[in-house]
Amino acid sequence: MTSRDMDRLQRLVPWHLVGFLLAMLTGALSASAGELERTVSFVNDVIPVLTKAGCNAGGCHGKAGGGQNGFQLSLLGFEPQEDYEHLVLEGRGRRLFPADPDRSLMLMKATGQVSHGGGVRLVATSEGYSLLRQWIQQGKHFNSEGEPDLVSIVVDPARGSVKAHGYQQLKSLAHYSDGSVRDITGLALYECNDDAMAEVTDAGLVTASDIPGKVAVMVRYQGKIAVYSASVPLGAPVETLPASRNFVDELVFANLKELGVPPSPVCDDATFLRRVSIDIGGRLPTETEAREFLASADADKRDRAIESLLRSPDYADYFANKWTALLKNRRDDASDITSNFAFHSWIRDSLLANKPYDQLVRELLAATGTVIANPPVAWYKRVKDPKSQIEDVAQLFLGVRMQCAQCHHHPFERWSQDDYYGLAAFFSQVGRKPTDTRGEDLIFHKRGTAGSKNVKTGLTVKPAALGDNVGEIAPDEDPRLRLADWMSGESNPFFAKALVNRYWKHFFKRGLIEPEDDIRDTNPSTNPELLAALEDHFRKSDFNLKDLVRVIASSHAYQLSAMPNEHNLADRQNYSRYYPKRLQAEVLLDAFHQLTGATTSFANLPAGTRAVALPDNSYNKSSPFLRVFGRPESTSVCECERVQSASLAQSLHLINASDIKSKLATSNGRADRLSKEERPDAEKIGELYMVAFSREPRPDELRIALDYLAQERTDAAGKPVDKTKATRENFEDLVWALTNTKEFLFNH
Amino acid sequence: MNNHQHVVSVAAIIAALLGAAATTSAQSVCLPAPRLLTTMPMGGQLGSEVEVTITGQTIEDLEQLLFSHPGITAKPKLGTDGNPEPNKFMVTIASDCPPGIHEARVMSRLGVSSSRVFTVGTLVEVKQDQPATTVATAMPLQVNSICNATLPLRAVNHYSFEAKKSQRIIVDCAAKGIDSKMNPVLIIADAEGRDLVVERRGGALDFTVPDDGTYVIKVHELTFKGGAEYFYRLVVQEVAADAPLSRLPSVRSVSSFSWPPADFSRSASTPETEPNNKHAQAQKISLPCDITGSFFPAADVDTFEFVAKKGDVWWVEVASERLGRPTDASIIVQHVSVEGSDEKLTDVVELSDILSPVKRSSNGYAYDGPPYNAGSADILGKVEIKEDGVHRLQLSDLFGGTRNDPRNEYCLIVRKAAPDFALVAWALHMELRNGDRNALSKPIALRGGSTMAFEVVAVRRDGFDGEIELSMEDLPTGVTAVGLKIPAGQSRGIMLLTAQQDAPRGMHIAKFSGRAMVDGVEVIRPCQMASMAWPVTNAWSEIPAPRLLADIPVSVGGSEFAAISIAATESKVWEATAGATLQVPLKHILREDFSGATMGLKAFGTGFDRTPKFDVSLKADQSEAVFNLGTLKTVPGDYLIAFYGSAVTKYRYNPEAVTAAEFAHKRAQQEAADVAKEAERLAQDATAASGDQKTEAEKAIQAVAEKKKAADAAVAAAAKRLQDAKKLAQPKDIVDIIVSEPIAIRIKPAETK
Repeated sequence: MTSRDMDRLQRLVPWHLVGFLLAMLTGALSASAGELERTVSFVNDVIPVLTKAGCNAGGCHGKAGGGQNGFQLSLLGFEPQEDYEHLVLEGRGRRLFPADPDRSLMLMKATGQVSHGGGVRLVATSEGYSLLRQWIQQGKHFNSEGEPDLVSIVVDPARGSVKAHGYQQLKSLAHYSDGSVRDITGLALYECNDDAMAEVTDAGLVTASDIPGKVAVMVRYQGKIAVYSASVPLGAPVETLPASRNFVDELVFANLKELGVPPSPVCDDATFLRRVSIDIGGRLPTETEAREFLASADADKRDRAIESLLRSPDYADYFANKWTALLKNRRDDASDITSNFAFHSWIRDSLLANKPYDQLVRELLAATGTVIANPPVAWYKRVKDPKSQIEDVAQLFLGVRMQCAQCHHHPFERWSQDDYYGLAAFFSQVGRKPTDTRGEDLIFHKRGTAGSKNVKTGLTVKPAALGDNVGEIAPDEDPRLRLADWMSGESNPFFAKALVNRYWKHFFKRGLIEPEDDIRDTNPSTNPELLAALEDHFRKSDFNLKDLVRVIASSHAYQLSAMPNEHNLADRQNYSRYYPKRLQAEVLLDAFHQLTGATTSFANLPAGTRAVALPDNSYNKSSPFLRVFGRPESTSVCECERVQSASLAQSLHLINASDIKSKLATSNGRADRLSKEERPDAEKIGELYMVAFSREPRPDELRIALDYLAQERTDAAGKPVDKTKATRENFEDLVWALTNTKEFLFNH
Repeated sequence: MNNHQHVVSVAAIIAALLGAAATTSAQSVCLPAPRLLTTMPMGGQLGSEVEVTITGQTIEDLEQLLFSHPGITAKPKLGTDGNPEPNKFMVTIASDCPPGIHEARVMSRLGVSSSRVFTVGTLVEVKQDQPATTVATAMPLQVNSICNATLPLRAVNHYSFEAKKSQRIIVDCAAKGIDSKMNPVLIIADAEGRDLVVERRGGALDFTVPDDGTYVIKVHELTFKGGAEYFYRLVVQEVAADAPLSRLPSVRSVSSFSWPPADFSRSASTPETEPNNKHAQAQKISLPCDITGSFFPAADVDTFEFVAKKGDVWWVEVASERLGRPTDASIIVQHVSVEGSDEKLTDVVELSDILSPVKRSSNGYAYDGPPYNAGSADILGKVEIKEDGVHRLQLSDLFGGTRNDPRNEYCLIVRKAAPDFALVAWALHMELRNGDRNALSKPIALRGGSTMAFEVVAVRRDGFDGEIELSMEDLPTGVTAVGLKIPAGQSRGIMLLTAQQDAPRGMHIAKFSGRAMVDGVEVIRPCQMASMAWPVTNAWSEIPAPRLLADIPVSVGGSEFAAISIAATESKVWEATAGATLQVPLKHILREDFSGATMGLKAFGTGFDRTPKFDVSLKADQSEAVFNLGTLKTVPGDYLIAFYGSAVTKYRYNPEAVTAAEFAHKRAQQEAADVAKEAERLAQDATAASGDQKTEAEKAIQAVAEKKKAADAAVAAAAKRLQDAKKLAQPKDIVDIIVSEPIAIRIKPAETK
């Protein structure tokens, strides 16, 4: 605020001047000489107190559209000047009362002396209260001559190791433009990236739990951030490690060694084949595949199985299923069918052809033409608004969440509104013309200078890629191509990282960064060296997706058993064992079909189409199975839209749903067929286990199954059931029992 | 309004809406027209005879299967009994018939049908009789052959072929380009059916065989649609490793009517020279020029540099979309000046798109223009040089940012003004009821006493703005054509084809042309005809597929008459003085009943097209058109006009068929009765007979019992046919366009006092 602004303010409320003089007088009487030497700064002192007390949080007065009860503050104090005006000018001047600072409404509300919806935020004896009081008393200055600007904050220590259940006190320091340093430990905000691993108090005291791994505490102060990274070792002896097959193993095992977490052994062949077939092909191995694989003595049979899966269309179908949901291939209208099928197929075919990832993204971002001639254009049908376009692109392809920066500085990040609108500017020259299909435009590059208006400043922002200058873009050049160039450029810190982290999560259940699409300095990787190496490898392979899958799946780290040893049960982020994953909805339905021999008829698709090959969300409506197991509706770029958690509804569905029953009893299904075949029951049970679990039954399992099959059945009246029917129903029961095991429902 | 009144009026509105909905749902749009829908196969090899089976819409009483080229002839296929088999023809393709796209159509009771593409090729052709929906049942194909097939619904057709390592095999599929409704997907898979390469954008698969062996081709529709209308011609062909990829022939888009310019020759064309993406790499050219290039690789920009003088006017034309490529050309011309060591570029003009000269229908609720686009994504525009010196022209494809297809070629012409025009016409469409979005194919099959209107649209080249007279010649007997000219500076005219009430059944290929004076010289240009490939009743549920026709067959069915004919009472030139009122008495010849008492009429024709809509009676045999020439401000001169509107006819389909069916039914009944009598007689004879005679009599009884059974079945079948014919002949509300015969008017100058 300039002095002229201040004058204007004080002319508007002349009694303030009186108050100011009175405050000076009373202040002089009550304050010590030392306190009087320093004028309290609104920006550097008052705002941090309000932020620490939570006054300007999104749920309180920082809420967009009016704050609370008529009192608005900018979110987290990012707009001090606006906050100053709200405090000083509004509320008929009651908020601040320099003549008697303690009677200022702000302080009376904050201390709960008058009714306050937000409760008590400050106590009268606190340092924060006293600072606010002093500021009011001194005359509510916005700033004073020569006041330094905050340059950065640091946390001390920045890294460290904390034993399980151990403590670490953090010290936070603010560095100002005049070289001064202030201890802000009590004023800074602290937040841990994994509350189960460590807790942090308002005063910066970190307490580790007993979960080993890496944890980070974000320190925030006045829009500046610092991070404390700690490792919490388990400290168990790591005597034997599986052989390293590639850099993934070297870096995973090095981390385990550092933390003292002994890994589980490499899993058996049956587990591996089932695991990798599900993770790459989205399906169970066939009985033949499983038997051949188990019988093979080839030393490289695991690598060959990976190669075979990568070559198969199953890989393309499965990963297309993943991407189309994230790219919002939604059916909102019956007329969407053509564009949805085309878009899904484009992704599927691109994956089948192993199109380099950067090329795939480029074709999507800079799509032009009609959907039929160039299917990625369909993305522009789903995501129409340039703001949604950049938010989706940033989150999906860069792992950066930009949504906050549309309206204010990103609280956990360095992104400003100019960064937001700079990114939006790349999409400012997307031209549209209606086609003969309702709601479907053709997309073309509209000649002109790219730019996007920052709604806050009213200024037009030129294309800029998250702080990187991409150079002048001529009016004839499609700026989206420049964005694509930047993304796949060698120095891009986001693009490759976001993808390898996403794929790592696909195979290991947990990303090296979690959530997988929230990559920021304040949310560090649990194994930064591994993430960097994967990123480097992916870039050097020219963004080869199949190669990335190959590297991951062929590592021993991926092939570890899911069974914990005596030490690593608590491990949730160091990959010392395979973390079992519930089969996703489509894979589970396909697996169910594979085991029962039943099918589901999907509208507009050939009989026998796999659920993982469904092009859009419209099939969820007709399939209670897909719905209950959490198939996404393609409304979000977040993988979290897919519900992977377990629920009672899922259990009940598997146990008792009518479609499950009818599939078990399907004519010419597996139970029906086995009941009619003339061969030993043990062989038939072997077939069922081989299909369901890719292994032979154990002796105890075989005995139980044989006993069950031999049982006679009686009807409701207690009369014996016809033998043919009884045999068939016994097989149905056996199949039903297998589908309800965790071994079937999980990839392990 | 009190409450009571309010309730009443709301109820009235609801009742009116319900009534309107009921009326709407009961109405069909446009009278039946003969349409050839499918032929199987869809083509044949040069010098061969092919059995062709057809299906169509209202094409009973078929006489002939006709083709647009005399090298293709057909005769009905005769069954073993010597009678023609229904809907089957033997088609002979002469060895000198040009390979490529031709058209088939039939002459039926209602006249000539809409056409269907019939392709003549050089390769061996086969026809797929049964779908092959699994790898195990894949149909074997010889390399270098064409398979004519139809897609099964929600299924994939499978084929197999043998190939050797390193062979270059092209798998292509003609579908949209031969009128099919199919968006083809082509897949080459290994012998187990695992996909190797896929093409879903209507392109061909260019496959270099990785190993000796069997390969599987899968063909399906993008959204797995199927049925008789989803037909295709699949080619598997070996080509030399370095041969350019040539595609199966295809019909021409409507937009291509304006390409090429008259007397255009590519002999003087020069190729673009890469690299020329940047200003510093500009390819130097001198004007005029004719350049061939391609939008390749992705995001290609072709920069050309030329010197021009202030005041020069150059016309620029680009063809690419009109060559059938999915491109959207854009040009920027800039003047280059040097300031110190820097170049300064000043925009001179930006050119893109040949806008449709008439507003075409949007994809909104109802029609707001014709469902045809005479415009193009190509370029036709003017560059006016404002400063002497160096200029640069940059040509790029607004769709080309990420696409890498060297076949996206273009032709760039920069020329001095060569004023000219190109014409296209299509049967008139208009909104016939609320929300109507029909885009029906409309064959020129005239009913006696009817007038059919065609919209004619001109793309004007290089500043030509004179009027264009329209004419049509070589018409069948009893048919006259009158063109309502395209006025100077405008783009739309009307062609009216009128069949006299007694016009005999007949068909002739007509010549349609436009004539104009260009720079004092008479120029005649052909007018091409466009039509929809399918009778699309709702363009919201099925995207129409318009295309250019090979020729213009005009026919009279001779079996039906127009429901109403409207004409001036006298065939004369109606004269009036400028500014005065002109009254033209009209006579109505009513041949059917109508739903509704009146019909609103508007006027076609320059000088009169702003005539306010007026109602004429659908019950009376006369009415009057009144023109206020003062309001219309029609200047003195000679005019041709016509009236048009729509009316709901109580149409009866083929009532003659009822008479024929009644006759057939009676005859069948008589025959059955005769057989019954015979049976009775034989039964009596048998009673009286004994010994061997009895045995013989019983045999005869058995034989006649069989005859009786057949006769009874024939009676039942005849009864069913009669019932069907009666049902079809029941009056049905059908709304259609009604057009009057043309009327000649002369406006004389007002006398000056």
